[in-house]
Amino acid sequence: MVTRPLRRKLKKRKVKGIAYNEVLWGYLFLLPNIVGVFSFIFFPLVIALGLSFFKWDILTPSVFFGLKNYIKIFQDITFLKVFRNTIYYVAGTVPLGIFIALIFAVALNRASRLIKLYRAIYFLPVVCSMIAVAIVWQWIYNPEFGFLNFVLSFIGIKGPKWLSSTQWAMPALIIVSIWKGLGFNIVIFLAGLQGIPDVYYEAARIDGASAWNQFWRITLPLLSSTTFFITVISVISSFQIFDQVFIMTDGGPARSTSVIVHYLYQNAFLYFKMGYASAMGCILFAAILSVTLIQVWRAKTWVHYGI
Amino acid sequence: MRKEQIYMRTFVHIILAFGAITMIAPFIWMLSTSLKSLNEVFVFPPTLFGESLRWNNYLQISDRFPFSIFFLNSMKIAVLVTAGQLFTCSLGGYSFARLKFPGRDIIFLLYLATLMIPYFVIVIPIFIMMRSFGWVDTHYALIVPGLFSAFGTFLMKQFFLTIPRELEDAAKIDGCTPFGIYRRIFLPLSKPALAALGIFTFMWSWNDFLAPLIFLNTITKRTIPLGLAVMQGLYSTDWPSLMAASVLSVMPIIIVFLCAQEFFVKGITLSGLKA
Amino acid sequence: MKRPKRGIMFTVVLMIVLVCFVSTAIGKVTLNFQGWEASPLETESVRKGIALFESRNPDIKVEYIPTPWSEHHSKLLILYAGNAAPDVAFVAAEPFYREFVKRGVLLDITEQFYEELKLEDFIPIDRKKMVVNGKIYGISSCVVAGVLFSNTNLYDEAGLDYPPRNVNEAWKWDEFISAAEKLTLTDTSGKVTQYGSYGLEAWFGLHSGHPLIMSNGGRLFNDDYTKCLMDQPAAVEVVQKMADVKRIHKASPDAFILQNIGMNAAQMLETGRIATLFDGSWSLQLLATLDFPIQVGVLPMFKRPVSVGTAHVHSAFKTTKYPEEAWKFVKFLSSEEYQIDLIRAGLWMPNRLSLYTPQGMERWLNPEVYPEGYEGIAEYFRDYLELIPYCFIPQEVQDIIEEETQLIWTDEKQAVEPVMKRLVERVNAVLAEQ
Repeated sequence: MVTRPLRRKLKKRKVKGIAYNEVLWGYLFLLPNIVGVFSFIFFPLVIALGLSFFKWDILTPSVFFGLKNYIKIFQDITFLKVFRNTIYYVAGTVPLGIFIALIFAVALNRASRLIKLYRAIYFLPVVCSMIAVAIVWQWIYNPEFGFLNFVLSFIGIKGPKWLSSTQWAMPALIIVSIWKGLGFNIVIFLAGLQGIPDVYYEAARIDGASAWNQFWRITLPLLSSTTFFITVISVISSFQIFDQVFIMTDGGPARSTSVIVHYLYQNAFLYFKMGYASAMGCILFAAILSVTLIQVWRAKTWVHYGI
Repeated sequence: MRKEQIYMRTFVHIILAFGAITMIAPFIWMLSTSLKSLNEVFVFPPTLFGESLRWNNYLQISDRFPFSIFFLNSMKIAVLVTAGQLFTCSLGGYSFARLKFPGRDIIFLLYLATLMIPYFVIVIPIFIMMRSFGWVDTHYALIVPGLFSAFGTFLMKQFFLTIPRELEDAAKIDGCTPFGIYRRIFLPLSKPALAALGIFTFMWSWNDFLAPLIFLNTITKRTIPLGLAVMQGLYSTDWPSLMAASVLSVMPIIIVFLCAQEFFVKGITLSGLKA
Repeated sequence: MKRPKRGIMFTVVLMIVLVCFVSTAIGKVTLNFQGWEASPLETESVRKGIALFESRNPDIKVEYIPTPWSEHHSKLLILYAGNAAPDVAFVAAEPFYREFVKRGVLLDITEQFYEELKLEDFIPIDRKKMVVNGKIYGISSCVVAGVLFSNTNLYDEAGLDYPPRNVNEAWKWDEFISAAEKLTLTDTSGKVTQYGSYGLEAWFGLHSGHPLIMSNGGRLFNDDYTKCLMDQPAAVEVVQKMADVKRIHKASPDAFILQNIGMNAAQMLETGRIATLFDGSWSLQLLATLDFPIQVGVLPMFKRPVSVGTAHVHSAFKTTKYPEEAWKFVKFLSSEEYQIDLIRAGLWMPNRLSLYTPQGMERWLNPEVYPEGYEGIAEYFRDYLELIPYCFIPQEVQDIIEEETQLIWTDEKQAVEPVMKRLVERVNAVLAEQ
């Protein structure tokens, strides 16, 4: 990697200060990584931004389109619909997913003996591919022969038609996503919980605080940075939901489960509208970026760092 | 007080057991369906097992779902991607964590920002690039862009920050170059982090669906998730076969997970804390 | 990491890479042939055909790549753009054949076609389908169209005549409704155990919306496909009547719009959950393997009997390195000897007029598959088919029509007219862009 003379030179320079050394090494170490990240992430992003100003079907030459793609997007009822669907999905998945994970993490934290076993079980769906999971759930959701409606019939509920109903298809997808991601959130919460020193709880107990009060006054505030982290990554990944839609509903029925990425995929690879799809992608990126920035900005008001 | 604790404990265990059943039931349903005949599947109320366990279902899908080919493809891609990321991310993470150079913090921020870029935004340009390299319908299209990762770099940086400075100070006084410090001190100390990153990268690469969906076509090049999706598209109501293929496809990663559980947990904890 | 471990890792990687490279074939000309398939039976048939071709042409090897229907065309597009297109592929007539032609993707085979084949030999809708601006880029190998399948056991139990097989006896819509109502049975608790009709809402196309609107004297699009006419009274009336099968007559189960939702239509017909099924003629192949007596009838009509037909074509791509071999294969895929097995199996209907003559029919009217009186259906195919309008409009329009009409099938309270109005508005906006 580094030739001998160069190394010697570097050694000599050491006397003058490590800083010089570090700059060179710093860049050198970063080089393989930065080349990759720039050529396969930043550069494509710039190209995508550029493409969004063109009309292009991938096969015939592109035509400069100015802002027309963006103007069209905001007049496209389908886009507005998929945008709403995406928001619905994010709003349905993130808070509920975090809430449930928190409950289980707190419970797990108390079940000291079986914690490893439970953790393994809860984590199982996380490691499986979304494709396999989606296929199984598709079968579970079968209105007539599926497992879910069978279970519901025990408690006297006539289950809905899930994936073939415009009202229930999206909740069905949300359930799958929460189910699949739960283990991931639980493990992060567990790590956060284990970082809270016992002294706090002991002090609270001496003061006669109830379990509920302890949770509310100690656990939750001290867990806020963990919660914040989970919220941020859940929002980012929920905005990009695709696999389960693609396998389970293909956006139907009546586009009730079509989300931005799904519509983007259709535009790019089915309708031959690469430019339009790129514009949509840029809007998605802008949406994710702004939501994340808002979260970071709002974080000051509720996240407590340090203990 | 004592009584209250017992109630509490029972309550906790009920919740946990309920959760565990919810988590595991779909897998049992998957396994049970994979061992039934098509007619036994369309029965209400559903049964756990059919008349006999049809292990034959697994043999019968071999021509529709050539598992060994898909397995080798997934393995090849995941192993190469993992090896590449371990190299580039540990170097990059070390650089961010320990070396001072102009623009470091800005570059790091940009790195973090890339985590927010949806894959689908950049997939069209990446496709154009792959096309110009002639890599469409080859594994290169999945491997080469996979060798680098902002997340991995971030994860390694987080870990390296926890290594005490004193260790390297001693080495510095001995005239060790940063590369020497990286190799002799940081790498040996960060085995758990490397293992965690390795396992995560492996899992993501193994389960990746979008990139194979777009770049791969030929049957002999398909990966497990793509092969499974294709099978689902072709035989959408042959539930026993689909479930058998699903079982086969999740099996390897579940085995890896059970063997290396600690590292998964470690990896998540690393990325989650101090974020 | 210690050294030996690294060595093992390296060897493993090396071995995996090696295995992957060794598997590539060597030697003769290999044609990559990409198709989709509706059922495992179809794959089997296609593979059989390929084997026959290979035995005739020992110097050509055909590599068959089945892809799911849902991804087939986007794959072709991506592969073509990526210079990795197959040599020959199925191309759906609606609408990808013309979309691909428009973008110059397919090999022009007009000359070879006229040298070796005759356009007049094909049935009328296939001529219309293949020829684009006087040129030919793909050859059909069959036709499929919407028909009415019925489980005759259920008709016998109800003492009803089977759906007519001859065009001149075709059911009027009201006759169909009255039969469907009589075939809808409830048990003592009021739960419906058997429905008279199913399949109208499965796809707004071949076996439902299109033929019925045409039959009612309506049209889906204007002549040059720049305007959608589905908000015209003739079309709205039909859609309303289709919705009423479930809404008023209660003769159809809740919309199982997603085809992947468990039982397929054939299984529902077999288990006696439905008595009559609107479906594509290709379903006969599967239905014939099931253990119950079926009958195939012509679609019910309003003003004139009509069904809508289509089917993929086989095309070679411009990028193929072996245009001659690819032509040979495309031609073989259209030949009588290739289609005849698939026709005999009930999957396809012939695209050559010669197979519709009494002698021709003898060659494929296989009594094990085709129910009695199928000659009437053959006549229907030859003389009463219209090409599906989706051949001439972009995929996006199809998706919009599907999306909007699904609102009608899934929500009983949804008024039809406003949906059709909005549908037309949206479709026209897309058509205006073209």
